[in-house]
Amino acid sequence: MRLDRSQEWWLAKADREGDASVGAGALGAQALFELPPKPAPAPPSAADETRIAFGRFVNLMRRRRGLSIEQLAAAAQLEARELLIIEDDMHHVPESRTVYQLSRMFEVSQRRLMELAGLAVANDAGFREEAVRFAARSESVQKLSREERSALEAFVAVLSEHEPKR
Amino acid sequence: MVESTTIHLRAPARVGSVQAELRDAIETQQLVDWEQFWRPALAEVLADLDRRGVPRSAWPQSRHWNWKEKAEQVYGVLAYRGFCVIADGQTQGLAQIDLNRFARLPEQSGKPLVHVDYLEVAPWNRPELGQPPRFRGVGSALIAASVQLSLDEGFKGRIGLHSVPQADDFYRRCGMSDFGPDPQCQNLRYFEMTVEQARAFLEEE
Repeated sequence: MRLDRSQEWWLAKADREGDASVGAGALGAQALFELPPKPAPAPPSAADETRIAFGRFVNLMRRRRGLSIEQLAAAAQLEARELLIIEDDMHHVPESRTVYQLSRMFEVSQRRLMELAGLAVANDAGFREEAVRFAARSESVQKLSREERSALEAFVAVLSEHEPKR
Repeated sequence: MVESTTIHLRAPARVGSVQAELRDAIETQQLVDWEQFWRPALAEVLADLDRRGVPRSAWPQSRHWNWKEKAEQVYGVLAYRGFCVIADGQTQGLAQIDLNRFARLPEQSGKPLVHVDYLEVAPWNRPELGQPPRFRGVGSALIAASVQLSLDEGFKGRIGLHSVPQADDFYRRCGMSDFGPDPQCQNLRYFEMTVEQARAFLEEE
């Protein structure tokens, strides 16, 4: 390599660059600028975990009675809009009144349903486990199946209990 | 044996120019510089954009490569060559060459040329990253080295490369022929330098 040139030669080349950003080559993986990695989403809180079961519970109880969301809303004197979100969005924190109305509608313990909805804290960890187990067992898009029905009934029994005395 | 050529760069922040070194190899020190200085500098640019809430769509469309990986891939393979520019004791630019490629321009179709697979200058030398570059002329030096290598290999100065978008005009100013977007290479514009263009490039002042 005999690239001997004068200082002027090199500087003329440099000046010709102007504002250009000199580069060449095709991208491989990850060769474009990227955002710094997003922090991992926070693990679900205890309230989040049982709220999945809350939404699922409302959904299955409604379907067991063969009701549409509108019909349930009318029967329980609630907003259909909120019921939709309750069934669909585990991050949504429902209104206290809504949970109260639903507990009366479905004939389960108001306190337990509040705990399920994340509006009250359950004193016993076993309840949370039951809720998660129910949510896992009841995942389905079909009409209430026999499994769903029996899972639901078992969980209704849990919700009908009073909290164990301390 | 690694050959070293003295070159000169513009240093906007300093009056006049600085002397620098063009070497015909990418060695361990270059990879160390890349990892210790280039990468953190790039990360800082991104972090700053993020902090200032600049929407991602407005981020500079800039490429960077993992030079350590590149070096490992071509280690010991004679068809690949490398160049670097060093100034202020730091690597300022890198280029990787492939000697096994052939020209596409009709007038030199099928003839061997030096293909610049990758060319990148250090983040602090890239105007699109928002700061005035520390050194100007690094990219030009690497192109000059490529043309000289082409002569040394008997390819008569022919070179080819796929341009990053911000450099399209630069390569035209160098006198290269614009072959147009290459659909086989992410639609980057493919440029080639003919024997005549190479002669003009190396001779003119």
